[in-house]
Amino acid sequence: MNNVFIDVDYAQIYKHGQKIGGDVFLLSRKPDSNQIVCTLSDGLGSGVKANVLASLTARMAHKLSFSDMDLTHSAKLIMNTLPVCKERKISYATFTIADLRHNSDEDVQVNLVEYDNPSALVFHGSEPEYWESEKIDLMREGAFKKEVLGRSHLNLTIGSRLLIFSDGVTQAGMGKALPLGWRLKGVRTYAQELIEQNPDISSHDLSYAIVQKAHTLDRLSAKDDITCMVVYVRKPRRTLVVTGPPFVPEHDQLLVEKIKQFEGKRIVSGGTTAQIVSRILGSPLKVDMKCWSPDVPPCSVMEGVDLVTEGMLTLSKVAVALEQKKSSLTLANDAVKKFIEVMQDSDQVHFIVGTKINEAHQDPNIPVEIGIRRTLIGRLRKALEEKYLKETSLEYM
Amino acid sequence: MIRKTKVSVKICVGTACFVQGGADLLLYQDFLDPVVLANCDIEGVSCIGGCKDDTLKTRPPYIQIDDKIYGEMTQDKMCALLSEVVHA
Ligand code: FES
Repeated sequence: MNNVFIDVDYAQIYKHGQKIGGDVFLLSRKPDSNQIVCTLSDGLGSGVKANVLASLTARMAHKLSFSDMDLTHSAKLIMNTLPVCKERKISYATFTIADLRHNSDEDVQVNLVEYDNPSALVFHGSEPEYWESEKIDLMREGAFKKEVLGRSHLNLTIGSRLLIFSDGVTQAGMGKALPLGWRLKGVRTYAQELIEQNPDISSHDLSYAIVQKAHTLDRLSAKDDITCMVVYVRKPRRTLVVTGPPFVPEHDQLLVEKIKQFEGKRIVSGGTTAQIVSRILGSPLKVDMKCWSPDVPPCSVMEGVDLVTEGMLTLSKVAVALEQKKSSLTLANDAVKKFIEVMQDSDQVHFIVGTKINEAHQDPNIPVEIGIRRTLIGRLRKALEEKYLKETSLEYM
Repeated sequence: MIRKTKVSVKICVGTACFVQGGADLLLYQDFLDPVVLANCDIEGVSCIGGCKDDTLKTRPPYIQIDDKIYGEMTQDKMCALLSEVVHA
């Protein structure tokens, strides 16, 4: 599993009265090569026409970034392809492409190409980084103005952030509260304050806060599309889920060692398993008689483990809830809800599945719904990966 | 006469017991007599062990009162048993 997690998200508000955006944001991850490409393009004008320009630009920029083609050449290609506006006789869309790659170490290399968008911002912790980008004059034939690309190579480490936004953000409030708009400096200061207040702020929350602020500066009637994207490099939040006793009792000790050594949240699911862990850890197991529902047995409390639940019933309900992407707010206050909350808050989930057969479940009176542990864990992993884009791994014992 | 020490009551919340009626027993606050309730120390246990014990001739759900395990427990049976023990 990766030691780095790249949290990317963006927020957007359309120009007042528009139902479609002229700012287009695209994001793709290529997990096998650890590459992430984010593209933000702002089309000329607003509304449908701008959206077409921006979509085309973003899509092309995006595809080309995954190819081996030189970025300057790609940029020319994009501009040659864009349709020409009938009134103004120009074809135009600005763009920013951030190509992020990380190898086995904890660094993320960023290749940043900017064309006419406000300059991107980089923070290490809450400290802004200032850098000079390399300027490349495209000198394209038939260009209606001088076209200069900015190109930079940046290095992000754990705790760094990259912010990319459209001019709707920097120009917010122009002619109203602020004669020249919010400007890059204003955005930088505001972002810095937010990060200082909450050093672990997620990309989702940070981009949302910036966009909201810009919107307020525009007195809630946006003069242009407002889009902000944030990349946050951080340590992954990990969770360990242990279910089922090991195949042979000699491995009980080993299992508990693994639990102890795990860095992150720990869940033990299954009564017998919990008893084993409790015995070896020497921490008593106490059933929480307040936390249950008619379908889900109570959770228990044990020191050294964040959540202790019953096994099969709970896991099968968790699987259903994850598959249906139920919000934890709609669930009863029971073990399933707690389980889901921990899952949503994790980036990587590791499962250790014990393979000992539980004699209690050989009873023909137990509903068929209780499937085999492996199948259940398979469903959990599939839902986590496909619906929540989490990384998961599995180990049998 | 009411016993001097509290009666220790353990309700099994393990899978086998829970699905076979054990969930109903967890509503003990509602169906037990307040006097009985006040004289019992009730807690949940994940698997009392009854389901794995072939010598017991009963079936889940199990509860344990002091040192004795009782199977096929229902709300009514639990009421009767506990008031007997408490008033013994
Ligand atoms: S599950 Fe109740 S005794 Fe085993």
